[in-house]
Amino acid sequence: MNKNNSIFESRAQGNLKKRHRVSKIWRSSFFLSTTIGIFSLVILLFSIINQAFGYVIVENNVDPASLSSMPLQSLEREELISILQENVSKNRFKTIQRDNPVEELKRSELVGLVTSEIIKPTTLKSYFLIPSLTNKAEIIRTQQDEFPNAVVQFRSWISPSFLTDPLSTNPDTTGIRTALLGSLWIIVVTVIIAFPIGIGAAIYLEEYSSNNWLSRIIKTNIDNLAGIPSIVYGLLGLAIFVRGLNLITSGAFIGIDQSNGRTILSAALTMSLLILPLIIINAQEAIRAVPSSLRQASYGLGATRLQTIWYHVLPAAMPGILTGTILAVSRAIGETAPLILVGASSFINKDPSGLFSNFTVLPIQIYNWTTRPQAEFRNVAAASILVLLIVLLTLNTAAILLRNHFSKNKAA
Amino acid sequence: MTENKNQPIITVKDLSIFYKTFRAVKNVDLEIFENKITAIIGPSGCGKSTVLRSFNRMNDFIPGASIQGNILFHDKNIYDEDVDPVQVRRMIGMVFQKPNPFPKSIYENIAWGAKMNGFSGNMDDLVEKTLQDAALWDEVKDELNKNALSLSGGQQQRLCIARALAVKPEIILMDEPCSALDPIATLKIEDLMRELSHNYSIIIVTHNMQQAARASDMTAFFTMDEDRAGVMVEYGLTTQIFTNPKNKQTEDYITGRFG
Amino acid sequence: MPRDTLDRQINNIKDEVLILGNMIEQATLLSVDTLKNRDIRAAHELIEDDQLINDKRFAIENAVLILIATQQPIAHDLRILTAILEVSTELERMGDYAKGICKITIKMGESDIPIPIRDLVKMAELAVTMLHKGLSAFVNENLHLAQSIPLEDDNVDALYHKVYRHVVEVITANPATFDEAHLLLWVAHNLERLADRVTNICERTVFIATGEMMEMDSTDDEDQED
Repeated sequence: MNKNNSIFESRAQGNLKKRHRVSKIWRSSFFLSTTIGIFSLVILLFSIINQAFGYVIVENNVDPASLSSMPLQSLEREELISILQENVSKNRFKTIQRDNPVEELKRSELVGLVTSEIIKPTTLKSYFLIPSLTNKAEIIRTQQDEFPNAVVQFRSWISPSFLTDPLSTNPDTTGIRTALLGSLWIIVVTVIIAFPIGIGAAIYLEEYSSNNWLSRIIKTNIDNLAGIPSIVYGLLGLAIFVRGLNLITSGAFIGIDQSNGRTILSAALTMSLLILPLIIINAQEAIRAVPSSLRQASYGLGATRLQTIWYHVLPAAMPGILTGTILAVSRAIGETAPLILVGASSFINKDPSGLFSNFTVLPIQIYNWTTRPQAEFRNVAAASILVLLIVLLTLNTAAILLRNHFSKNKAA
Repeated sequence: MTENKNQPIITVKDLSIFYKTFRAVKNVDLEIFENKITAIIGPSGCGKSTVLRSFNRMNDFIPGASIQGNILFHDKNIYDEDVDPVQVRRMIGMVFQKPNPFPKSIYENIAWGAKMNGFSGNMDDLVEKTLQDAALWDEVKDELNKNALSLSGGQQQRLCIARALAVKPEIILMDEPCSALDPIATLKIEDLMRELSHNYSIIIVTHNMQQAARASDMTAFFTMDEDRAGVMVEYGLTTQIFTNPKNKQTEDYITGRFG
Repeated sequence: MPRDTLDRQINNIKDEVLILGNMIEQATLLSVDTLKNRDIRAAHELIEDDQLINDKRFAIENAVLILIATQQPIAHDLRILTAILEVSTELERMGDYAKGICKITIKMGESDIPIPIRDLVKMAELAVTMLHKGLSAFVNENLHLAQSIPLEDDNVDALYHKVYRHVVEVITANPATFDEAHLLLWVAHNLERLADRVTNICERTVFIATGEMMEMDSTDDEDQED
């Protein structure tokens, strides 16, 4: 051992220590980069969660205890209906009946109706999560000093009713069902349009087109299209789909004339244009990455080009294609600008019901809320962001599961 | 198949192959005999793989590749207008340098080509028969549904041979089939080739001269001329080429004194 | 050249063959000398030295086997190596002939030599010259020389027939000399066989150069075991 050590020492290169030191410094800086990235992400998540939960000081118009001796949640439907009839004006009750006949409502919906129509809770002041956890005594003192009639409640701004209620101008009762459905409709229709077209184009470009100047120009242009600002696609969508193809996108050609061209279909077509380059490029990469040995094996057995593509190239490329689609969908679901141009409404509480409905989407709703003066809307916006993130994660998870299903066939 | 064992199954007449304007292979005349193993040897870049791939029109996929001259298969030029290259490739199968089984089960690897070519008999029997012919049946009979990529390299290559057999070709082209395999797997493939040569004609391109010497009946030696075009220098019985080649270039190459 | 190692090793083995050939030449000339000088002690020493020849031959064979196993020679290289195996066997046999002559020297003891010894010496010289040329043609792969050497065998054969006639004459004239005369015929026979084996070496030379195996005509009968 000693002898060996001495050999290493005597032949040690002069700059070896320096080389080791430099590599250590670089290693630390790479680690630092990663840390900064993760830290930013944590801060982002934290600030959203911080806003989406916390204490609120709520004042009820009518004390729930005065309506019934028991908590509202434990009352029967009939009792709730009678409370409703007793405590609102006749005209108001008629209006409610017209919108949602009370006899058909579920108990939980009746509770909601009683709350919004009679108890009318008003959030006087809301607190973020951190002050709520660290400074509860202060909050209670504020309530006692300034709002003696109010109560302090812990509220999760994101809740089942937040998901299922329609939009409202009241931050306490508003939900995001309309925007959520709008987003989902647009994503689904977009994928249905863009996925097959994108793969088809990628197959043609990779497997069929010869490598001449024309195809090279096309390929370069597709790459460039992916980098065009999304607002440009919005302008394009406005000009072509909303205005130019109004007859089709408004649904007039099949006799639906209740809307203009600012429909889900227009939005989905615009979004498809936006994500097509992404899907094509990724699908091209994935198809190109399929080893040519696989194609040769297939051709060598006397398979045609289509058989080779269909049975071997596409299954092998599918994980990569799906990854690209995940990226594209993630981008589309967060897009705001082009949808404003093609006519997403900022306030709409009618659920989209088909391709030719008007719509709003989550990002637009979030943007809209953050511009409102009331502090509570910021809490609502944070809750919506969480919903948007969850939707995104769900879609991605589904796509990853699908991708794993395809790559499992390949794994050794 | 005809009875006459000495009848050429492929006759190459004055074959030249071009990549765009570059002439990769020049004026090759060659007769491949039925039920023989024919080895094509030569230094890198001498066009031996190019020639092999021209036998089942795999060069069609290379942009800019074109040929002059004739390749007669049963007296019919496979480059004639009325010949469908897909049909050519079914009758002249191919095994590649790197084992390239489909990323599917062993069973499907065999069955796919047959099914695609309209095989209507008992698929289980066909799979068993071809795997036996490829000397793989005993090793995989209990795990036909296993992914083919989980096999060893040598097994994968034998599976690829079985896969080629399943579409019932007359000729099997092998493009350096053992270059990615260990010596034992290589010898197994060589034994298998010998077995298969009773029913098929085999043409093998190899870098390994010992392999050509061990496994083939006929040997063709290719090299590059001064224009870097591949030319055939000598063609004859393997026993003659490896003991007493007529051409100095052949001698230099096989004794390892090339260049 | 990519095969420098192989070439160098083949040349080394060729050198060894030349050394072995030289040992044979020496042994042959000396064996006839022992007879001429009636030097029984030298004959004993030569017989012992035959072991060196055998060792040398095995060393050559071993070197050839190692080359074949490790370098995979083919075509011309393989022909050289197999020819060397053959030639070393031939040389070892020639060594045995010299040994045989020494044994005859010992058997003859002090008895008279009833025929002119100079014919035998001449035969030995001719045969050794043939061997020398033959090996030279072999290691240099000189096809022309190799083809001309078997013709010289006729001179050796002529001498052999001369000795044969002498022996017959001597025995006829004096049957009591039968033993000695008969032994001397064996000496001539050994030398004649040695020359024949040079022809075999020449055949190998032609084989190396052309790849063709062909019998070279000599006026003598085919090989017989002795």
